[in-house]
Amino acid sequence: MTLDEPPPGVIAGIGAGALRVAQEIGGILLLTAEVVRALVAPRIDTRELWKNLYKMGNRSVPIVVLTALFAGGLMTLQTGPFVKKFGATALAGWAAGYAVLREMGPILIALMFSGRVGANNTAELSTMTVTEQLDGLRALAIDPVGFLVVPRVLAMMVTLVALTVIGDLVALLGAAVVAHAMLDIEWSTMFHSFADNLRPFDFLHGVYKSIAFGGAIAVSSCYFGVTVRGGAVGVGRAVNAAVVAAAVSIMLLDFLLTYLTG
Amino acid sequence: MPDAELPRARWLHQRIEGAGAAALAALEAAVELWRVYVATWAGIVRRVARRRAHGRPRGELARQLYSIGNRSLVFIAVTLGFIGMVMTYEACLQLARVTGDFSQVGSQFLRLIISDFGPTLTGLMLATRVGAGIAAEIGSMKVTEQIDALRMSGVLPIDYLIVPRFIASLVMTLVLAVFGAVVMYTAGGLTAKYSFGVNLGLYFDASQVRARHVVLLVIKAIAFGAAIPVVAGFCGLRARGSSEGVGWATTAAVIGGSFAVIVLDFVISAAALFVTGGDL
Repeated sequence: MTLDEPPPGVIAGIGAGALRVAQEIGGILLLTAEVVRALVAPRIDTRELWKNLYKMGNRSVPIVVLTALFAGGLMTLQTGPFVKKFGATALAGWAAGYAVLREMGPILIALMFSGRVGANNTAELSTMTVTEQLDGLRALAIDPVGFLVVPRVLAMMVTLVALTVIGDLVALLGAAVVAHAMLDIEWSTMFHSFADNLRPFDFLHGVYKSIAFGGAIAVSSCYFGVTVRGGAVGVGRAVNAAVVAAAVSIMLLDFLLTYLTG
Repeated sequence: MPDAELPRARWLHQRIEGAGAAALAALEAAVELWRVYVATWAGIVRRVARRRAHGRPRGELARQLYSIGNRSLVFIAVTLGFIGMVMTYEACLQLARVTGDFSQVGSQFLRLIISDFGPTLTGLMLATRVGAGIAAEIGSMKVTEQIDALRMSGVLPIDYLIVPRFIASLVMTLVLAVFGAVVMYTAGGLTAKYSFGVNLGLYFDASQVRARHVVLLVIKAIAFGAAIPVVAGFCGLRARGSSEGVGWATTAAVIGGSFAVIVLDFVISAAALFVTGGDL
């Protein structure tokens, strides 16, 4: 993707880019339709599902916890001085907690998840594709979508929600730690501030966003994995394209869900 | 009962061994990452000291500037535009519930964008797009033995491959951070106007921005711009095997780059807080 020469003409370049994007969106939507169809009369390989749940969920906990700690701390660093200037320390937890639960928590965790799990998944599927293992499955009359894609999509949606729930709590803890260590705000002030100002709906808002993020990451990473072409170079490009598509769709879905549900 | 004790002792032994091996591998990777970073600076010094282009492709820097900068424009505009809209929307929603006074939204949002969200979110997005791209490219060259071919021709792979990307990324991350901040702020302003009826004259208010916020944006953008190509190049050079190795390298680059951006952001913000004495 990055090695492409500049196109011969500006208009031709824009047209080619638009066509490519349209083709990718269409392909992702078609794959989504296939996944949904496979779910109606469940044809899911449960062993593959458990394996993916463990690999995507349990093994991502360290990176998610670290990211969430820093994200929560950052929110306090950004909002805390302002709150302190006006002497309203009781609101410190409101500002940081609201930002963490509704936006920064789910988005940052989803971005890290897309890097760790989504990219990894594309790498794995595209390696299988270029070594013709998918054709092998088809030759054995096993549907690659039902066998490989559906368990991965389900596993990513479930694990991202679980990781977001863990991450949100860790991020609030990180916010309190930074407030205590750098801004001299008492632990109890911070936790009372969380309890008084945050509603359960703020938490849920982040959680149901993460369901959508998980689905988007899963389908785009699988799409670029199964459509890859051309050996090692192709695998690198597929991973690159998958993470870019995941980042764009996370931001887009975030906007749509916030706007539609408030 | 030595027979019953033995399996438990072995289990413990294996755990400790595993943790030790992981720690050693992490240390080794950190040392190697540091070496790549130092070698990149050495390459820049050599490049400046030796005027004649020796062992360096013509126009490579311009090509990297184009592929890192220009080709990321649409991506940065789309992602940061949407997140700017969401953030203003959330902030106005919350203000409407509490005070209903929107006069501070624009000025405070601008302060936050310049000192943190603009450079950080741009950095995160570039870690995804540019980091993955660099790692995929260098990783493919590594597994197809093109890197070994370079070495055999007496060309240092870091000078030839990473230095132009490093310089291009330093320049373009700064440019894109400013561009991203502008897009984010404008998108937020339009959302505030059309969803909450905030006066645009009231929104576009730079009274809260001080020189230290702009300095912070520049420092952060340069730090992220330096971290992303080094981490990605390091991951690419470590690729082993064939297509699977390239996939792993690209994944590691995305994770390493994003994590580096988040940690650097935290460190720089905390340092700024100490330097300014809590009045950021």
